[in-house]
Amino acid sequence: MSSTTAPTADVPVPMKEAPKTPWVFYGILFGILGAVSIIVWGPIGVSGTYPRVIGAFFRAFDPAYAEANPYLVKVGSLFKPETFILVGLLIGGFIGARVNREKAPKCEMAHPGETSNAKRYRDAFIGGFLIVFGARIAGGCTSGHIISGITQLSVSGFIFAIGVFATGILSAKMLSSRRAAGA
Amino acid sequence: MMIAILSTLIGVAMGFFIQRVRASSPAMIAKNLRLENLTVIKFMALTMAVGMVLVYGLSLVVPQILHFDVKPTYVVGVLLGGLVFGVGFGIGGYCPGTCAVGIGEGRRDAIVAILGGIVGALVFTLVYTTLIDPIVKMMNLGKITLADVLHVNPFVMALIVGAIFVAVIKMLPDNVGKRQQ
Repeated sequence: MSSTTAPTADVPVPMKEAPKTPWVFYGILFGILGAVSIIVWGPIGVSGTYPRVIGAFFRAFDPAYAEANPYLVKVGSLFKPETFILVGLLIGGFIGARVNREKAPKCEMAHPGETSNAKRYRDAFIGGFLIVFGARIAGGCTSGHIISGITQLSVSGFIFAIGVFATGILSAKMLSSRRAAGA
Repeated sequence: MMIAILSTLIGVAMGFFIQRVRASSPAMIAKNLRLENLTVIKFMALTMAVGMVLVYGLSLVVPQILHFDVKPTYVVGVLLGGLVFGVGFGIGGYCPGTCAVGIGEGRRDAIVAILGGIVGALVFTLVYTTLIDPIVKMMNLGKITLADVLHVNPFVMALIVGAIFVAVIKMLPDNVGKRQQ
C-alpha cells in the first residue's frame, strides 16, 4: 500500500511461496514421539489445558463457582501432562526458530483480506475462540483427536478430522476469494 | 514429578517438529487448507501412519507398557465440534497447540489466538450445562476403534490404514498446480 522503502510496521507480512520443509523426516519422528507418549503416560493432547486455566482462575477468585461448575470439576487441576506439553510447545518453538536462525514474522497474513495488523489480530482472535470452543465440544483438538486419535484408530478421530477439514477447507477458500480480499 | 519433566520434554520435541515443518505459520496452514500446498497435511498423515503401526505393533509384544486412551465417539458432538473447529482453523490458521509454538517463535498474532482460546474456554465453561452436555450425550457409541467396528485385528488394521495413508501421501504433490520433479 505505502510506497515508502522502509517496511511498514503495522502491515502483516504475506507468505508468497510455501517453503520446502523436511516434513518426511519430522513426520517419522513425530510418529515415534506419539508412541513414546503412549508408553510414558498416554496419548498427546493439548486443548484440555484451556478450560483448566479457567478452572485455576475460578479456584483462585471464586472457589464456590469452581466447585459448582460440573465442567470445571470434570477437567480438573492444571497439574496434568497436557499442561506441561503446552509449556514444552512454547519452548520447542523458541528453540526451533533460534537454532536455525529464523525470525518468524511478528504478524503474518493468512488471507489476502488481512490488510492491516488489526484485521490479522481480529482473525487470530476469532480463530482462537472457535478452535478451543469446537475442540471442547468434541473433546479434543488436532493433537488429541486427529494425531493421537487416528494413531489409535479411534472412530472419533476420523469423524473429527472429517469435520475439521470440511469447514477448514471451505472457510480458507472463501477467505481467499476476490471478494473477501477486497474486504 | 517425573511425568512433568517427561511431558515437558515431549512438548519441546513436538514444538520443535511443528516449527520445522512450518505448521505454526498461519499462512502455511491457510495454504494447506486452500489445498495449494499439502506438506503439513502430509506431515500429519505420515505421523499417524508411523504412530499406528508402531503402537499396535508394540501391543503385540509388550501390551502392558502401553497406555491407550481412546476418546468416546459421541457422533453429534464430535462432528459438530470438528465443524466449529474447522471454521476457526480456516479463519485464524492456528490450532490450540500451534499458537503456543508460534508464541515461542515470536509471533504476536499467536498471543492473540491464545487469548481468543482462553475466552472460548471461558464461554464454553459457562454454557456447558445448558448447551453442551445434552449434545455430548447424543449418539454416544463409546470408546470404539476402526478395528472394533470392522472386526479386524488392530495390528492388521493399522497396517492397512497406514499403507493407505502412505499411498495417498506418495500420490499427492507437495505443491498443487505447479508440479515439480
